[in-house]
Amino acid sequence: MKTFSVGDWTKSRLISVVVALIFCFLCQLAFGGDGLKIYLRLLFSLVGIYVTLAVSLNLINGITGQFSIGHAAFYQIGAYTAALLGSTYFSNMANHSSLLWLFMAMIFSAIVAGVAGFIVGLPSLRLRGDYLAVVTLGIGEIVNIIVKNQKSLGEAYGLSTAKYESTVFAVVLLAIICIAVSRNLLKTSHGLAFLAVREDEIASSAMGVNLTKVKVTAFVLGSAFAGAAGALYAHTKGFVGPADFSMDTSFLILTMVVLGGTGSITGTTCAAIVLFIIPEKMRDMHDLMLGVPIGVAIGIMVGVGMLKKIQDTFHGDGKVRFGMNIGSMVLGIIVAYGASKLLCTIHGLQTMVNGQLFRMPVLAITLVVVMLLRPQGIFGHNEFSWSWVQKLIGKKNVPEAEVAA
Amino acid sequence: MSILTLKDATIKFGGLTAVNSVSFELNKGDLFGLIGPNGAGKTTCFNIITGVYEPTSGEILFNGKRITGTPSNKIAQLGICRTFQNIRLFQSMTSLENVVVGGFLRHKTVLGSALCYLPGAIKETEKLKLQALELLKLVDLDDVANTRSRDLPYGKQRRLEIARALATQPQLLLLDEPAAGMNPNEKKELLDMVKKIRDELGVTVLLIEHDMKFVMNLCEKIFVLDHGEEIAQGPPSEIRSNPKVIAAYLGEAV
Ligand SMILES: Nc1ncnc2c1ncn2[C@@H]1O[C@H](COP(=O)(O)OP(=O)(O)O)[C@@H](O)[C@H]1O
Ligand SMILES: [Mg+2]
Repeated sequence: MKTFSVGDWTKSRLISVVVALIFCFLCQLAFGGDGLKIYLRLLFSLVGIYVTLAVSLNLINGITGQFSIGHAAFYQIGAYTAALLGSTYFSNMANHSSLLWLFMAMIFSAIVAGVAGFIVGLPSLRLRGDYLAVVTLGIGEIVNIIVKNQKSLGEAYGLSTAKYESTVFAVVLLAIICIAVSRNLLKTSHGLAFLAVREDEIASSAMGVNLTKVKVTAFVLGSAFAGAAGALYAHTKGFVGPADFSMDTSFLILTMVVLGGTGSITGTTCAAIVLFIIPEKMRDMHDLMLGVPIGVAIGIMVGVGMLKKIQDTFHGDGKVRFGMNIGSMVLGIIVAYGASKLLCTIHGLQTMVNGQLFRMPVLAITLVVVMLLRPQGIFGHNEFSWSWVQKLIGKKNVPEAEVAA
Repeated sequence: MSILTLKDATIKFGGLTAVNSVSFELNKGDLFGLIGPNGAGKTTCFNIITGVYEPTSGEILFNGKRITGTPSNKIAQLGICRTFQNIRLFQSMTSLENVVVGGFLRHKTVLGSALCYLPGAIKETEKLKLQALELLKLVDLDDVANTRSRDLPYGKQRRLEIARALATQPQLLLLDEPAAGMNPNEKKELLDMVKKIRDELGVTVLLIEHDMKFVMNLCEKIFVLDHGEEIAQGPPSEIRSNPKVIAAYLGEAV
């Protein structure tokens, strides 16, 4: 075990902070510029915002094991707080497009959303499992309905806010902070107490862990990050409306956490990026012949069927059979391609359909496939580290201690 | 000096009186056995001592202070910790991490320090890990420190639960059937281990066990429970020849 030294700590902290800031700055340069890349900038900012949302929900659902499904409520509270502030008190400052103002809005939104999280969390976190899910779902809807019926909040039309154009720097920074905070937590004994609550409430309580405190803390932290993300959303779009914070949004965030692997920060981050980009990119899909989606569906069924079969046959021997797994996937793709070609020769299946129709089904199908093959999510409880990669590709000689480190 | 006192402790679940007016007293440094047939109410006794359930009536004193109705986590902080009959480890965590959680209750750093990964929280985590490693050595599990606890064999899981409980630095340790599912060899080791915990760490032990030979060899005082009620109390030699106990265990060699 390595022992702690102040010098090393200062050095590694400094390096990480500098690297993070440089990274944010590079993102700003690449995606934040004015000009033709408005769409790209918006897409990139939204990806960053959704990474923050998913990683913050992972604090509640994944790490602490409390099944909350109303995360959009806190996102909305943050967004409206920032919008109100931006359109009233701080409108003059925003014209100067100062980063400082943006950070103030973020912090303020985070505090408001955090307080809301505390008020909601304190009574409802005493509930277990399904009950908590129902309550948080209800809260999400209630917040949205209240907003829709409040004149001062723009009712169904929404609010426009002073727009701070280049939010890319702040968006990336917030996502990094959110990831870093989760990661830091898990590296210390405090985080282990959070995980313990997820694993077994009765046992952790018997070990002296204060369940209510841990759960409420996780809930408040998660809500606060969602609120900060909301503030950035308001200033990225320059406009907030209730439709952006519906139940769909909550479910999209939840899907990211579940697919990525509940508890895994790496998994959640990757899932957030992929799950946000796929449906967005599918917006500009061309019309296609009816035979294509049917062919693809057949291909998926064949591929997934094979993968499942491999899993069942070699159940529990701990080895990842890369050759076989990749073979099944390739087979699935070939079948999908062949079947599509073949089906499109049939006259009845040559009708053109709108490709955009498949935006949401793709999410649903992905979820079903992953839950079939890997109920614990793509990454399970694992985090990215080099030794983990080595173990995954089957290098036997990695000592266990190293993997844990 | 008395460390734990139960006075007429009673708990009812609907119509069922699981524990009926049970009174006993443990002195500091005791190795105290709680025995009785299945469903006698032994585990329920542990549950009311550790605050999982609040007794319907009666009281429980720890070091002379009333602890009836105190929540579980406060009880652990006061210095009573337990293991579970149906093992309750934190399954996806390693052995070491399990024990670290046990030691966490006396933490001094605030959450903010952990979230920012400040030296205070790092040092504390390292200290807890070192302490955990020591305890794993004590229960002879240091070789599996980084193995996920769900991957451990049964006997080792039971010992890990003991290490985790010891990490809370209890004055009183409650063991619920610690030898269940162990082979004779493991039982022998466990017996020595429990003695060591009492003699070297000075922890008072209250244990539930079905294996009569194990209890009689280990405990200095025994309390026998049947249908939630006391049927005998005393040193092993008396218990062994008590006709009521023999009747309760009908046919079993005591
Ligand atoms: N939470 C509960 N609700 C209802 N009945 C319970 C509860 N806990 C224990 N009991 C009942 O109390 C009796 C004693 O159980 P227990 O203490 O587990 O026995 P044992 O001596 O084998 O450990 C049993 O009849 C059991 O069914
Ligand atoms: Mg029992």
